[in-house]
Amino acid sequence: MDHAVSERLFLRRRITNWLALVLSGGAAIIGLFFLSWILFTTLSKGIDGLSLAMFTEMTPPPGAPIGEGGLLNAIFGSIVMCTLAVMMAAPVGIAAGTFLAEYANFRKIGSVIRFVNDILLSAPSIVLGLFVYMVLIGAPRQVATVIQNSDAGQNNWLAGLANWLIDISGFSGFAGAVALGFIVLPVVVRTTDEMLRLVPTQMREAALSLGIPQWKVTTQVLYRAAMSGILTGVMLGLARISGETAPLLFTAFNNSFWNADLGEPMANLPVTVYQFAMSPFENWQLLAWAGAFLITCFVLLVSVLARSLLLRKKMSHD
Amino acid sequence: MTNVSISLQTTLAAGEPAAAAPAKMVAKNLNFYYGDFRALIDINLTVPEHRVTALIGPSGCGKSTLLRIFNKIYAVYPNQRAEGEIILDGANLLDPKYPLNRLRSKVGMVFQKPVPFPMSIYDNVAYGISHYEKLGRADMEVRVEQALRQGALWDEVKDKLKQSALGLSGGQQQRLCIARAVALKPEVILFDEPTSALDPIATGKIEQLIAELKQEFTILIVTHNMQQAARCSDFTAFMYLGELVEHGVTQQIFTKPSKQQTEDYITGRFG
Repeated sequence: MDHAVSERLFLRRRITNWLALVLSGGAAIIGLFFLSWILFTTLSKGIDGLSLAMFTEMTPPPGAPIGEGGLLNAIFGSIVMCTLAVMMAAPVGIAAGTFLAEYANFRKIGSVIRFVNDILLSAPSIVLGLFVYMVLIGAPRQVATVIQNSDAGQNNWLAGLANWLIDISGFSGFAGAVALGFIVLPVVVRTTDEMLRLVPTQMREAALSLGIPQWKVTTQVLYRAAMSGILTGVMLGLARISGETAPLLFTAFNNSFWNADLGEPMANLPVTVYQFAMSPFENWQLLAWAGAFLITCFVLLVSVLARSLLLRKKMSHD
Repeated sequence: MTNVSISLQTTLAAGEPAAAAPAKMVAKNLNFYYGDFRALIDINLTVPEHRVTALIGPSGCGKSTLLRIFNKIYAVYPNQRAEGEIILDGANLLDPKYPLNRLRSKVGMVFQKPVPFPMSIYDNVAYGISHYEKLGRADMEVRVEQALRQGALWDEVKDKLKQSALGLSGGQQQRLCIARAVALKPEVILFDEPTSALDPIATGKIEQLIAELKQEFTILIVTHNMQQAARCSDFTAFMYLGELVEHGVTQQIFTKPSKQQTEDYITGRFG
């Protein structure tokens, strides 16, 4: 080989390498810079708003003196709706993920469901909110209106149905939880599916070769092996919904007062933050920062917990 | 491959005439398909009782495929099917009416990679037993100890039965898997390259264990390692490209095989 040519080639490769390094390093720095800026702003502004009253008092009226009122109703509402969402979505998601990994893995239907689930995973949350609004709030009301405006409205039974539909449809904590549940669901399906497929095939075969039926193998052996991974999926789902605003805007709406009734509009942190931050009132703005800080801390905590769970699993396998 | 003849002496030292044993399992005209691909072609094989039969051959020759038919573990996967007969105690276990539960309790299996279940050492052994028998605590403890002794693991784990089985070494895990299979009191145990993931010392222990286990069980073992087949088997079957080329007493297969292909393989000319 000609020596001069190989020298030039080497130089070109070194320049390309250097360029790629600089570009990717720069991209990482830009990302980290803004992330730390966001964290710093939330932290510094949020800490000013933090007080014990935040956890003990309801959201204050606009223009109230600074330090008066808190976020108790919003915190409570968020906890209730997030818990309910996870409770509804996790069992369904784990069951669906199990079906994908254990029963549909080699079949076409498996890949179809995986594809659809991935679409749901990346669906904008506001679309999910709109969907739940239509199904739980919009549609029942429309049906009720149609009944009331037609001759059938004279019928006692149908009139009763119309009233009942109007009664149950309305912004509610339940509708909010359902909307959040639709965000958790695909996350749990995906992680359950992947974690179960990570369990070595030989463990399945070893259990089956003892004559143990497949459902027992799945629930008693494979779930144990994949438990920390599945739990991580559930926690990541929880972390994702704890800051979601869009799906709650027209499902749970918001509430300035204490409400523990799932059939009524429910206060929640993200929408409260949104509303307070946009307002011209200084006391509200301060609480909005505090609320944002609280959400950030919660997401951070859950993510760290989820990570440590996975790490522990990895170490026990080594 | 020159030390093949040396290691044969262990088999010879075992003494008794290997051929004089009744058949435990007989495969008749066995064919196996992965989808459209025919992986096994008209296999006829007799597995003698209380003897160790080794399946050898180059990668992809179908020896693991054959082993996996004897307890129908292949049936987990769609597109895999077997044709022909395997007679175990007078009944054809490939008959769809043959109860899977009974088959798996009669034919145990140990896999290539040790795969203890993610539970305690004790539970690993007790789990399979409790599926078949409802035993009291004391009875179960006796059975678990018995199985762990048969797996030559008892002395190493008797003080930490409640600890996770994942904490054991690779060789210990594999012996636990053997104990788990033995615990069901099967009649046949299938070994699918049981030592290929283990170091030489752990391998030696497993081989010794196999020699002991044949007093009570009929053993069929797949191995890549020809010395291993020579060391611990009474009979050897050589497979090539899905066909059973030659089957006979181990000593004879390794000293004067009747087929040229067998000789080429055991002398290391291919594979």
